[in-house]
Amino acid sequence: MEFFASIATLLREWLSNGLGLSATSTELIATAVWTLVVILFVLINLIVLVWLERKYGAFFQQRRGPNRLGPAGFLQFPVDIVKVLGKEDIIPAAADKPVFKIASICAFVTTITALAVIPFGPGMVLEDLNIGIFYFIAIGSTATLSLLMAGIASNNKYSFIGAMRTVAQMISYEIPMVFSLLGVVMLAGSLRLSDIVAAQQNMWFVIPQAIAFLVYFIASIAETNRGPFDLAEGEQELVAGYFTEYSGIRWAVFFIAEYGNLVAVSSIATIMFLGGWNAPFGLTFLPPFLWFMLKVYCMIFVFMWVKWTYPRIRIDHLMHFGWKFLIPVSLANIVITGIGIFVYNSIGW
Amino acid sequence: MYGQGLIKGLSITLKHFFGKKITQQYPEERPQLPKRFKGSFTLIVPKCISCGLCANSCPNHVIMIESEKDENNKKKLKGYKMMAERCLYCGFCVEACPTKALQWNHNFERAQFFREDVNLDLFNNYVPSPEDEKTAKPEKKEKVEESAQAS
Repeated sequence: MEFFASIATLLREWLSNGLGLSATSTELIATAVWTLVVILFVLINLIVLVWLERKYGAFFQQRRGPNRLGPAGFLQFPVDIVKVLGKEDIIPAAADKPVFKIASICAFVTTITALAVIPFGPGMVLEDLNIGIFYFIAIGSTATLSLLMAGIASNNKYSFIGAMRTVAQMISYEIPMVFSLLGVVMLAGSLRLSDIVAAQQNMWFVIPQAIAFLVYFIASIAETNRGPFDLAEGEQELVAGYFTEYSGIRWAVFFIAEYGNLVAVSSIATIMFLGGWNAPFGLTFLPPFLWFMLKVYCMIFVFMWVKWTYPRIRIDHLMHFGWKFLIPVSLANIVITGIGIFVYNSIGW
Repeated sequence: MYGQGLIKGLSITLKHFFGKKITQQYPEERPQLPKRFKGSFTLIVPKCISCGLCANSCPNHVIMIESEKDENNKKKLKGYKMMAERCLYCGFCVEACPTKALQWNHNFERAQFFREDVNLDLFNNYVPSPEDEKTAKPEKKEKVEESAQAS
């Protein structure tokens, strides 16, 4: 939105002219401010998302969900945050303490850094990298590492099994996810996210890349460790998976990272397949940022819908599905997209 | 075809999402209890003949009866306590009562701050009501008459 862009330029002008700072320090301070904005964006989304998750989950099960505190139970989660902040910070005696402490912060950092390249509107992006989607995938892979750190440092069998499962699952599903995004990149001819959005001005890529969208959707559920692929924290078998030993604020940081990942994955789905901030059918009465958020929240609704509908999949079925079905399908999709582009170009419309 | 069940499942949950919610908002909305619901106990004092069958039938010795004999050498109830903290709510006492003086009621909100408050003093907490004055005896008389007529 122009409003935010004008705030950005005003801030830069005030820093360089008003305060007389050098170009480097202006850039540093401006970047710090925008990073803070992104973190705040994640936290605000977290409050809304936890409320939505509880409400949606209740509605899908014919319940009412939280309804005592605030309008429709909206204040339940802020009160829960206060409770979590007041809890004792317990670190197990046998845990690998430095790694244990770092792990939750690492998970949060990967989420924040992944959100750095996401354009929420025209010009509303922290860093419009020319390899944006590549960067996103690379950062997404490092999230596996923080979960593995948490699982191994806890020195607990449930945490360990949970972490192992997470690693196996995330590495397996990273491949179909990347392959499904490759089709879109081939159509758009760019790895820069804003270019990909611009390429969808006339037609969203969900139409020519419907199969890729489905593959991406399934793989991203597995990537974010949500149901029905939440084997890493299956309560019935593994207590809480890799964060069994975490409590209080450290657990809350994992929680924030999880929902931040959900936002990031939904944003990428919106950018790559649902046309980003482009309004459908020329309905431009809403600003682009709101269109973007609307699409993201629609994606999140579908994520939650799937989570609250299906039972948890078994670990060997998960692996078979990933390696024997999703990867061949996504590879075939790349081949077909390539042939399609070649035919399209040789006909020369 | 693969995936039909998945789509069916999604459609069912979507119907639930927009459909009517079935949760009962308990403190505001009272539950409709069945007639034979086993909640707490009521003792209809005028009906009680202090025979002690309830106390005898109790597996946990929960019931304590105090009685005295009046001028007609008839037993009269003086106190009736139930140590409900160890009551297992089997209902043998209610079954044993020959005059149906001891009955179940629908009070299920029995939580208390102190342990002693759980115990029931059914004699002193008895609230007289006109319906209780109908004794169990006429019923018995009818039966006697019926048997007499039959013979």
